[in-house]
Formats: sequence, C-alpha cells, structure tokens
Amino acid sequence: MHFNKLIFIVFFFIAGCHQAKIVEKKDYIFGTIVEIKVFGENEEAAVHSIELVFEEFRRLHHYLHPWEKSILNEINKSIRNGRNYRTEDNEIISIINYNIELESKTHGYFNPAIGKLIQSWGFHSDQFANTMPNLSHIQDLRKNLPHMSDISFYKNYFTFKNKNIQLDLGGYAKGYALDQAKKILIDNNINNALINIGGNIMALGQHGDRDWVVGIQHPREPNSIATVTLKPGWSIGTSGDYQRYFMVDNQRFSHLIDPNTGFPANNAQSATVLMPPSESSGALSDVYSKPLFIAPENLKNSIAKELGINFYMVIMADGKIIISHDMLNLIKWHEKIEKDKLTVN
Amino acid sequence: MKKLKKINSQLTKKILIGDLFLIFFFIGLTVFLTLMLWNFPQGEYLKIQMGNKNIGTFSLNQNITKVIDGPIGKTEIIIDSGKVRVSKSPCTKKYCIHQGWINQLHQTIVCVPNKMSISIIGNQSEHDSLNY
Repeated sequence: MHFNKLIFIVFFFIAGCHQAKIVEKKDYIFGTIVEIKVFGENEEAAVHSIELVFEEFRRLHHYLHPWEKSILNEINKSIRNGRNYRTEDNEIISIINYNIELESKTHGYFNPAIGKLIQSWGFHSDQFANTMPNLSHIQDLRKNLPHMSDISFYKNYFTFKNKNIQLDLGGYAKGYALDQAKKILIDNNINNALINIGGNIMALGQHGDRDWVVGIQHPREPNSIATVTLKPGWSIGTSGDYQRYFMVDNQRFSHLIDPNTGFPANNAQSATVLMPPSESSGALSDVYSKPLFIAPENLKNSIAKELGINFYMVIMADGKIIISHDMLNLIKWHEKIEKDKLTVN
Repeated sequence: MKKLKKINSQLTKKILIGDLFLIFFFIGLTVFLTLMLWNFPQGEYLKIQMGNKNIGTFSLNQNITKVIDGPIGKTEIIIDSGKVRVSKSPCTKKYCIHQGWINQLHQTIVCVPNKMSISIIGNQSEHDSLNY
C-alpha cells in the first residue's frame, strides 16, 4: 500500500519535471509570415487546430485581397463602373459596415476607401519600385477624397456616392483574421496560444504560469526595442514605416498614407497599441495604430484618449517617444531610454 | 551491546523481497534522475556588454578573437568553438583572465575596472514572438 503511494509520488515528481511542450507552426499567408504557438496541448490536437486557422487565413486572404481576385475587387469593379453592388453575404456586409464606423471614429485617419491613393503610390504590388507617383493624380484624388461614409447599404445593395472609392482593407484584414483565429481555437478547446500575423499579435490564455511575452521591433535597428507581456485575450498592433516603404532622394515614403495630404505620413517611425480582450480586439489593434501613426503630434494623445486606447507608444521621426502612462508601466526596455526622449501622457 | 545485537538480528530477519525491491528501486531512481537532471545545458551565444551598452551577441560556434574598447583600455576575448575566455585585459588584478574558460549556459565573466561583462546565453529568445 505504502509502496504504491511512493511510486505514485515519484511518478508525479518526474512528470512535474517535464516541460509542457509548445507546438509551433509557420506559414506564408497575407503576403507575410504567420506563426501560431500553442501551449500545453497534445501535438495532434494543436496541429489540427492550427491547420484550421491557416485554412481560414487563406480563405480571408482570397476574400479580402485588395488587388487580386476577391469579393473586395468585385465591389471595387462595381464602383468604378458606377453600379450598385448586390450581395447577401453577411460577412462582407458586416465588415464594410464596421469599417464605415471605424473611419468615422478615427476622424478619417483610418480610411479604407483610399485604395486608389495607395495604388498610385505603388503599394498595390508585392514588389514596389523606388519611383514617385504622378503628383497631379495624387492631388486630384485628394481633392475628391472618398470616404467610407460615401457607402451605404440598403435592401441587399451597397450604393456609392463617390466613384473614387476603392476599398483596401490592408489595415484591417490581419486584425480581423486574429479575431477569427481566436474563435476557431477556442471552438477547438485550444485555450493557450499566441497568434502572429505579420507582426500583429493576439495572446490567448497564457504560456504556462506566465503571460505571453512579445518583443516590439525597433524601427531603425535589427533588434527589438522592448518587450511587453500580453494578458490573456490582449492584442498588439504596430504601424511602422520600416516594412513597406521606398526611398527617393534619401527620403522615406511608407505605405501609411495620410488621407488629408494624400502623401505618406512622416511624423512617426512607428505606432504601437495594445487592445484589451473584446470581440474585435484583433481588428482594433490593427486599425487603431493608424490614427496614432498618421495624426499630427499634438493630436495623438487626444485621439488615443477618445478611442479608449490606454496602452500606446509612438516613436516619432526624430526618435523621441510618446508613450501612455499605462504602457510605460508595462514596457520593459531593451536599451536605456533617456528621460528627455520620453513624453508620458 | 546485547540489546543492539538483538535489534540487529531482528532487522536482518525482516529484510524481505519487498525491501530489496525498494532498495533497487531507489538505486535505479537515483541513477535515472542523475542522468536526466544533471545536465548543464551548453550555451549557444556570447553576449558582450560594456557598461549598459550591448556590444553584441556572437555565436559560440566559431574561433575568433574579439577586441573590445573599454574605459581603461582594450579587453581581448577569445571564442574557441563552444568556450570563451578573456585573454588580455587592461585591469590590474586580472581576475577576468584568471577565471579561464567558460562554456556553460548563464556563466559570466565580469571585468569591473573596464566595465565589461560577457555571458553565455542560450538560443532562447527574450520573448515568445515579435510585434513589427
């Protein structure tokens, strides 16, 4: 009897010594690397669930692609031809309606209707050239700037008030995909995972008995500038000028176009936001980094406050850092940051 | 003495097959746990710091000599396929040189006068994923 107990205890001890395994898979979807880590599940179940998520990502990639064949492209064709677009697809209806809401909430700094501007700057291509666009064309588009509010939906029909509308959900799709991934993983009883789509990350549960830890890329150096812990359900998104950009005459032109000027925003190098768990935490972490990147320096904090972004950091073009109080408490720097470089809000 | 002998003989009488089993079980368990847990993991990279500045991280899997400039002079570090030592130092006590080779994860050599520290780190990253 005692002997049995002893064996039981010893095996418990040995079992406790084994580290729970991480199952990790990477793929190339949305034109970028996607990576999912699952903690503490048996490998077969984890791999199966990750595959389901990748399958969903591939579907979304083809569904929302801004310039290849997709439903978005069909809609854009209708707009160009001056036609209404009839659909009963509830997913695209709710996505577009939500994006209408997001444009108005962000005072137009996030504007997914300006696909034509983004295309004119050459960013509708996997490889973009170091050439300036036709500037008079840019001016024309800016003067007759399309807004999401030019779109309305009534009785299965989308109608469009501005022919310049060209939908580009590049600032939303990856975040939306995070929210979809969360649903799939939870439906499959995967409760501890880290999902990374091209830098946009959502944490589910924890890494064992600690929270997931995420590094934040330094916008000008090859290493990370800091790390943050993501509590269960939180997401992190960064808009930066260091991934999709080109240089002309030593000047950097990034894919983050300021709808007000028609030109790439250039007052910041990167803007990072953390969003708490919600049904659209992923989408918001993707979308809300845009207004903080694009808006002028003196408006960034008030916009963050208005949007309820408690955790944010903007690295300005001159290297100065604007950071929220909550974010400063959370962040762990990898290098010494001079106090006079920091503006804490 | 008599009493002890008595106890002893009683004990001898009571060694049964289960006791033998237990003895062998514990010997086996000791060997097993020693093999399993007594492994000092080898590091993969050398991290060099000067003051609070990170000079860099270098693979241990090479044979090179690095010379690092510090506040009182040059420190020479030798990486020799998996192990590292400080070979020259401008400091007076030369503790860093006397420490000799290091090759285990988290081992560190510090040269306080020259504000330099080198430590062996693993391939484990400081974070689970990267936001960019």
